[in-house]
Amino acid sequence: MVEMEQLQKEAKEILKQGKVKFVIGYSKGSQNLTATPVFIKKPEHTSRLIWDPTCVQNLVKFIVDDKQKQSREKKPDERPVGIVVKGCDSRAINVLIQEKFIDRDDVYILGLSCEELGVVDEKKIAQKLEGKKIEKIEFAKKNNLIVSTKDGEKKIPVKDVLADRCLECKAHFPVIYDQLFGEETEREVKEPYKSIKKTESQSPKKRWDFWKEQLEKCIRCYACRSICPMCYCDECVADSINMAVTAETTAEEKAQKIKWIERSPALSENIGYHLIRAIHLAGRCIDCGECERACPVDIPLRLLNKKLEKAAHELFDYDVGFDHKKPSLISSFKDEDPEDFIR
Amino acid sequence: MKKRIGVFVCHCGINIAGTVDVDKAAKKLAEHQDVEHSVDYVYMCSDPGQNMIKEAIKEKKLDSIVVSCCSPTLHESTFRKAAKEAGINEFQCEIANIREQCSWVHKDKEKATEKAEKITKSAVERVAKNESLEPIGFPVTSRALVIGGGIAGIQAALDIADSGYEVILVEREPSIGGHMIQLSETFPTLDCSQCILTPKMVEVSKHPNIKLMTYSEVQEISGYVGNFNVKILKKPTYVDPDACTLCDDCTEACPVVVPNEFDLGLTGRKAIYIPFPQAIPATFTLDIKNCPGLLPIACGKCADVCEPDAIDYDMEPEVVEEKVGAIVVATGFEQYDKEKMKEYGYGKYPDVLNGLQFERLLSASGPTQGKVLRPSDHKEPKEVVFIQCVGSRDPELHCSYCSKICCMYTAKHAMLYKHHVPDGQAYIFYIDIRSGGKNYEEFVQRTTEEDGVVYLRGKVSKIFEENNKITVWGVDTLTGKEIEINADMVVLAMALTPSKNSQELAKKLKLSTDKDGFLAEAHPKLRPVESITSGMFLAGAAQAPKDIPEVVAQASGAAAKAISILSQEQLFHSPMVAEVNETLCTGCGMCIDVCPYEALSLEQGKAEVNRVLCEGCGTCSATCLRAAVKVKNITPGQIFEMIDASVGG
Repeated sequence: MVEMEQLQKEAKEILKQGKVKFVIGYSKGSQNLTATPVFIKKPEHTSRLIWDPTCVQNLVKFIVDDKQKQSREKKPDERPVGIVVKGCDSRAINVLIQEKFIDRDDVYILGLSCEELGVVDEKKIAQKLEGKKIEKIEFAKKNNLIVSTKDGEKKIPVKDVLADRCLECKAHFPVIYDQLFGEETEREVKEPYKSIKKTESQSPKKRWDFWKEQLEKCIRCYACRSICPMCYCDECVADSINMAVTAETTAEEKAQKIKWIERSPALSENIGYHLIRAIHLAGRCIDCGECERACPVDIPLRLLNKKLEKAAHELFDYDVGFDHKKPSLISSFKDEDPEDFIR
Repeated sequence: MKKRIGVFVCHCGINIAGTVDVDKAAKKLAEHQDVEHSVDYVYMCSDPGQNMIKEAIKEKKLDSIVVSCCSPTLHESTFRKAAKEAGINEFQCEIANIREQCSWVHKDKEKATEKAEKITKSAVERVAKNESLEPIGFPVTSRALVIGGGIAGIQAALDIADSGYEVILVEREPSIGGHMIQLSETFPTLDCSQCILTPKMVEVSKHPNIKLMTYSEVQEISGYVGNFNVKILKKPTYVDPDACTLCDDCTEACPVVVPNEFDLGLTGRKAIYIPFPQAIPATFTLDIKNCPGLLPIACGKCADVCEPDAIDYDMEPEVVEEKVGAIVVATGFEQYDKEKMKEYGYGKYPDVLNGLQFERLLSASGPTQGKVLRPSDHKEPKEVVFIQCVGSRDPELHCSYCSKICCMYTAKHAMLYKHHVPDGQAYIFYIDIRSGGKNYEEFVQRTTEEDGVVYLRGKVSKIFEENNKITVWGVDTLTGKEIEINADMVVLAMALTPSKNSQELAKKLKLSTDKDGFLAEAHPKLRPVESITSGMFLAGAAQAPKDIPEVVAQASGAAAKAISILSQEQLFHSPMVAEVNETLCTGCGMCIDVCPYEALSLEQGKAEVNRVLCEGCGTCSATCLRAAVKVKNITPGQIFEMIDASVGG
């Protein structure tokens, strides 16, 4: 079991010592269910830190934000950022180190083991409650959720409402950390790619129809891109507005900025955007599921990334984010790499 | 700034004009806002065609041109030169390939015309944003490296050295000479192989321009054409060649006997040995793998008897660094793995030999002083079966290719056997006889007509030992009869394969290999001695199985190619190379990982391009997450416009 007090104590200690500039963690959610990310700068505020299955967010995104902010500051605070991570999130840190976006010394990692659980899926809970509004939510013993609605209390085993990604999790235990909380438990994942089984079994036409229907919905709010810890490029192919401009950029270059994709949320452009994004995340996505969670129109974006994760595993024996000392998938080449898909 | 572009559409006789309406295409292109001039002509590459381009550039004040014709691999340089002569920058000329990529592959004239227009338009869009560039000049190191000291390497080294350039000849074994020095006589003239090769070997050892490094291996290569840096590992021989008087006392003292590689195991040698009497360099080598007592000195007998104190157990491996401008790779061949040939009883029965072993039996310097004797009982074999295509031309189980020299050397073997054993009988199982080459067919005819060798067209089904004889079951497909021969000896014409470790070397040199592991030439017809890496050339059986005259010819060809580099004061490299925007580069190093030419490096936290190593492939540009690398004249902006034009925008 992860002792919350221990986590709080450690956070307090590192803040006191000035080892970190702040600690990013989870605090109690203000409404409904999901925890709220919290930035703690003062040791006395560390009691706000929590850890339970509502801590769904991948906080690594904030590391990316901080790094980008730092690069614009004249005298940045170069102390590391303390961050609370789950197993999945820790892999995102590994990818960022691998891609030299951050250094290992930029972060002080407080790793949490999910042990036999994971995090909950709000939508699954909502289904269980048949649409009733949550008034209060509590964790009881034996990993049960006690949810109060206007019709009284309801006990739900956490396992029944775990997020899909947790059921397919490859790392419920942090793969990189400075301090570890909780046990390194064994967990067998029988079907690591279960969520894409259905689409994979479908005919190309059916799949195409499915994705057309899904991507038709996209309103191009870019929430998926904004929440993704891997979407840190200064210049995005999907976006003709944010162009990386330097002192040497000529007016002509600015005027000739390429529009690979139009910004209008038309199906063709949406397909272009989402497929390019999926390809750009191949061998980089650690399946934190944040894109899908953030999507306001419920596009099952995880499926695209999961498919590529499977391809990377099967074709190149590459699993993302387990070792930051290895070269990243897109920058490594082996003689044995299959090339029969190039025709 | 708006450009003034000229478009020149070539008919290529009817090669293009037969499928593409060139007149219509030229008129269509004339409508483009940047195109000032658009014409078609029957042969743009002809002198009048080129003059037409030059005049148009001057008259219409064109600043860039697009020639719609064949592949840029063929005439890009022609038209770029023409453009330069007319006074515009040569990199303001682009080729639109409307032959290989359009007319040759389509039938529908209307659609092909439309496609040709799009291809040309995309080139127009590209050239509209082309920068004027100058070729990158760099100096040349006027020395060559030859890897492999067989006949190919020897010939190449001599040719280069004779032209006045220094050559480093690296050989893995203790002596140069390769496989040719093991041969008895050579077809079709039956010259003694050693007699014609040893003069060349001696010439190598005496040549003032040749630095011979035997018992050495290439360890690492970096750099580029004109400026390679090579690290060569010199393995210790434990014998000082200058002090050694070749008295041979050490071999007599040495207690260890191991199979002699030179005789392919038909004889033994000591752990301290000289490979063969005419070895170059003429010195002994202590074979560390088989010597019982180097560290701590357990034996030391050789050093004890060595009067001039030439044996030095403390000799260390040495890595020598050399700078060279061109490299000839002549790593040769070896016979097909005997482990894979158990079906013929090779390795199981002592009287089943491979071709090279039989060569040693025939050789005057061989284990039997040129007498053909069975290894098992030293009796003269009265019936010998030769089997061709052992491992060759067998796509299901072994090598799909023809090893080329086996038909000829088997005929030679059978003929020489008959010369040695006139009352013996030779049989040859063959698939068919390939005897293309000067005087080759006549040679084969002689074996049957004058020497009475029996050719049996068919394959062998089984070989087994019975009553001290080797029974060969086969079939003669011409008569349809099954054949059983109780032979005294069987000789297998094994397939030739690339020499061992040549794959590793190919990786070090970044040479590509073909499906069978032979080194790949740049073009099978027009660039047969060049590799795809510029400055590296191929010679001999490392590239494909071939006989001695062909090897020598190719080696001289490779030498000539190497000389054409060494004789330049300066070489030029295409300026269409990657360029890093240092402000955008964050130094993540991913471009360095993906660069197939090792052209990128990290200098003070930023990627830096070695412009001479860069081939402008654009992999870095595609990988960079921050759009900090671009290849000149094929920038993302240009690619975008080209795609747009290609899809009809």
